[in-house]
Amino acid sequence: MTAAIRAEFRKFFTTRLWWGMALAVFVLGIALAVLFGFLLTQPPSPSAQGRGVPTGTPEQIANSVYTGGLSVGYLLTLVIGVMQIGSEYRHKTISGTFLGTPKRAVVMGAKVVTLLVLGALYGLLSLIGSVAAGAIVLNARGFDPFPTSGVFRTLALALLVLGLWALIGLGAGILIPNQVAALLIAVGVAWIVEPLIVFGLGYWEWGREHIAPYLPTSATNAMVNGVSQGGANAVQPLTWWGGAIVLTLYAAVLAGVGSWRTVRADIS
Amino acid sequence: MTTTTTTAPVPGPGPGPGTATQSARIEVRDLTKRFGDFTAVDHLSFTVEPGRITGFLGPNGAGKTTTLRMLLGLIKPTAGTATIGGRRYHDIEKPMSVVGSALEATNFHPGRTGRDHLRVLADTAGVSTQRVDEMLELVGIPAAARKRAGGYSMGMRQRLGLAAAMLGDPQVLILDEPANGLDPEGIRWLRGFLRHLAGQGKTILISSHMLQEVEQTVDDVVIITNGQLVRQGAMSDLHGAPRALVRTSDPAALAGALRVSDITSSDVSSSDDGSGALMADTSDLRLIGDVALRAGLPIYELHGIQNDLEQLFFQLTENTNRNLGQPAAGQQEAQA
Repeated sequence: MTAAIRAEFRKFFTTRLWWGMALAVFVLGIALAVLFGFLLTQPPSPSAQGRGVPTGTPEQIANSVYTGGLSVGYLLTLVIGVMQIGSEYRHKTISGTFLGTPKRAVVMGAKVVTLLVLGALYGLLSLIGSVAAGAIVLNARGFDPFPTSGVFRTLALALLVLGLWALIGLGAGILIPNQVAALLIAVGVAWIVEPLIVFGLGYWEWGREHIAPYLPTSATNAMVNGVSQGGANAVQPLTWWGGAIVLTLYAAVLAGVGSWRTVRADIS
Repeated sequence: MTTTTTTAPVPGPGPGPGTATQSARIEVRDLTKRFGDFTAVDHLSFTVEPGRITGFLGPNGAGKTTTLRMLLGLIKPTAGTATIGGRRYHDIEKPMSVVGSALEATNFHPGRTGRDHLRVLADTAGVSTQRVDEMLELVGIPAAARKRAGGYSMGMRQRLGLAAAMLGDPQVLILDEPANGLDPEGIRWLRGFLRHLAGQGKTILISSHMLQEVEQTVDDVVIITNGQLVRQGAMSDLHGAPRALVRTSDPAALAGALRVSDITSSDVSSSDDGSGALMADTSDLRLIGDVALRAGLPIYELHGIQNDLEQLFFQLTENTNRNLGQPAAGQQEAQA
């Protein structure tokens, strides 16, 4: 297993993808922390809240500032997850991988471990930028950068969030055989389709209460416990641990079903 | 059949007990693979012996690659077994140190350097980066391997694939179309390389869709078409018994003189040239010359003849190639 994991890391760090992603994650972490640091610290007016302007406690504001970069960052680790298996099929290196390690479950296990670690590494990179920049902005705006210990829990969970999205990508990369299609569908669903569904469900009470909070992006937001949308149609998020369980289930099911298929399929 | 490799010029990464010195025979028994209605490999059986280079031949689409992939555990057989040294690939503890394989010359990520590609495989095989560089040196691409694989020529890819196969210092080599895309100099180099490895007692199986491409390289052949075995045996048997063509003024007289010396022959004179011709069943040209001299007959031409392999290969596989469409109705009846 350790040999397979070492090989997976080597695969990732020997193409150009990793440093482009690292740069993007770091810069986005800083940029969105600064942006949210200014936006969310505007004095809220009651009329604006009624129209759906986000509001939150100081803890939620700090959480949102620090994890603002993750709202794009998880899409990037989703892409990494798709690529870690998709490019193997696309360039047929999967044959060599399974010739070196014929026990395919070991290979898939190594990919899961590798993606969780990579998610945490990229999360760390994002947070280094966002916490440094965000804390300065919050301080300047007269807010306590670390109002509660809950902020640190959020920072820790943010690392897990990125790893779990990478696993969702791994599953998508296997279940959608064409890598380009897999990338477009995975990112499209997470970034565009799902928010639209959540928005639509806002007008249907049962759906708003029983479906919307359990969608992966909603679960992600619940985990990091940021500021939430105000207004009558707003989705009530799950607790942080509820979100963590839901997102973990998504990752486990997608990566699990994908791995099961890979273990059984003919490689030709 | 056991051979030692103590004089191997390519040092292995310290072979474990019994791995590098143990000979391994490849055995394929009743191997069958169906994809839906299509039978790609049909009750195929053959063996590949250590210390020899075996050519696995057949036209494109005959089922060679499917067979090799079943042998290597990448495709699950519908029925039958394929083992290496008595074990299925899946059951071999450190597979890359027992079996080295190069399946397709295109199995590289275009954005990764050839050297890094090998280092990824080296991680799995548990061999050092030093071994990677040695193998790159061995196949003659140490400098080029530091460039990204996207720009490699076919010959480069073949050499890189070969280096990958050699990483674990395996006893068995399985190469799919290794000569494909090599220039004549490259083919000659490959031939010497494989010959050297076979001399160390390694088991070598190489596939090709062209008999001529490998005829000077292989010792044995396994010929398949439509997923079925057509012929297995030594390359020398394929050539058939050696014969000689001799042109003379009176073929009947020479045939009689040869018969006295226990050499059978047949008249192959064509009507349009003035002289006659005989096909004698011997490769001893000097003997034919001596016989003709004693009989007082002139010799206009005398040379040894071998079976035309291209022709033979075509005969063995013709009319049965499923990829060339259905044969005409009359032909089909004639065959049945």
